[in-house]
Amino acid sequence: MSWIDPSARHPASAKNIRVDGRRLRSERTKQLIVEAYLALIRENPQTPVPTAAEIAKRAGYSVRSIFERFPDLHNLRVAAADYALAHAAALAPARDVDGDRATRIRSHVETRAGTCERGLSLWRAMLFNIDENDELKMRIKVARDRTIERMELMYRPELAALAEAERRSVLIALEAITDIESWARLRDMYGLSFAEGCATWIAAIDRILPATPEGGARA
Amino acid sequence: MTVRPMKVDGRRLRSERTKQLIIEAYLALAQDLSPRVPTAAEIAARAGYSVRSIFERFPDILALQVAAVDYCFAQVSALAPPRGAEGDRASRIEAHVRTRAQTCERWVRLWHSLVVNQGDSPELKARVRSARDSVTERIELMFAPEFATMPHDERRRTLIVLEALTDVESWERMREYFGLSVDEACAVWIQTIDRLLPRNPDEAA
Repeated sequence: MSWIDPSARHPASAKNIRVDGRRLRSERTKQLIVEAYLALIRENPQTPVPTAAEIAKRAGYSVRSIFERFPDLHNLRVAAADYALAHAAALAPARDVDGDRATRIRSHVETRAGTCERGLSLWRAMLFNIDENDELKMRIKVARDRTIERMELMYRPELAALAEAERRSVLIALEAITDIESWARLRDMYGLSFAEGCATWIAAIDRILPATPEGGARA
Repeated sequence: MTVRPMKVDGRRLRSERTKQLIIEAYLALAQDLSPRVPTAAEIAARAGYSVRSIFERFPDILALQVAAVDYCFAQVSALAPPRGAEGDRASRIEAHVRTRAQTCERWVRLWHSLVVNQGDSPELKARVRSARDSVTERIELMFAPEFATMPHDERRRTLIVLEALTDVESWERMREYFGLSVDEACAVWIQTIDRLLPRNPDEAA
């Protein structure tokens, strides 16, 4: 029995693959518009609602091009949120999940801090526009759920030792402390460097987590 | 000694009263519409005045926002004085959490609106900063015995973390996203503060 799909033995000729060049170009334009929006809110975090004209200018297209691809600016914001969430997930894979306690805490904190550092402007833009659009609310929930899932993964040995109510309480506290706005305050309000911000979170997480059970993972 | 009767300027008093009613109308709307900032027309309709009346008293909406924030902060200070700072560790944690929870529960929507809309206004930013500084000062007061045992850097880090933990938005998430009751949310804060603060060797509890 062959494991190879017969059709794969004779790859279709270039003629048979119908590449819709127009559609591809349109998708590329869409992508550039989303990136222009994200660049604008990163550069001007105090103006979380750039206008269509500003976005068009930045992307190098006409305002009409934007509204040919997005029915309105809400849809553009939602597409940008999806793009940024996918980007954040790709740039922040879980590392050192099987490491000892100190390694896991450090790895989690540095990854989370990097995500916060990169994602603050979009996060604020999402919060600013949240009430206009339930779809943004859903994406904020997805982002929070991911943060909690990551902590459950990274601190599995410690959390496994706790009763359900206490486990939940610890997760909620960890989520509050490692919130993106908490990171923004460490950096902007308290003037901490990236390393100092990480050290602050590491010390707090180490205190909040219960002792690592022997045999559960390397303490 | 004879007391000379004070000259009460009725027109000025009425104007101040109108100003106050406009601030209250703004706050009621900001609470309902948070995080959207109400328009001048909405505020005027709610207060029962004309739009012109608003701009006779406030040069722009930002000035009204600033006045409203000041009014709120004065209320927060009046309604949440420090209590139980002399108690034992457990009662100080409990007192601090209950007071803070009450403030957060009451002001969460307005705070959210302020934080989201502070934009690049130095006046609003200064008020957000001042509110956070007040929270930090309160934490320092309530947990002075524990902080006294800590080296400077550790003390600073712990203060920063306690401020983040007991932030209004952290409260909002516990209530709305995690669906906790007030008591459950207080229990999370109490347990976490207890873990974050070092034990004072002089205190058994």
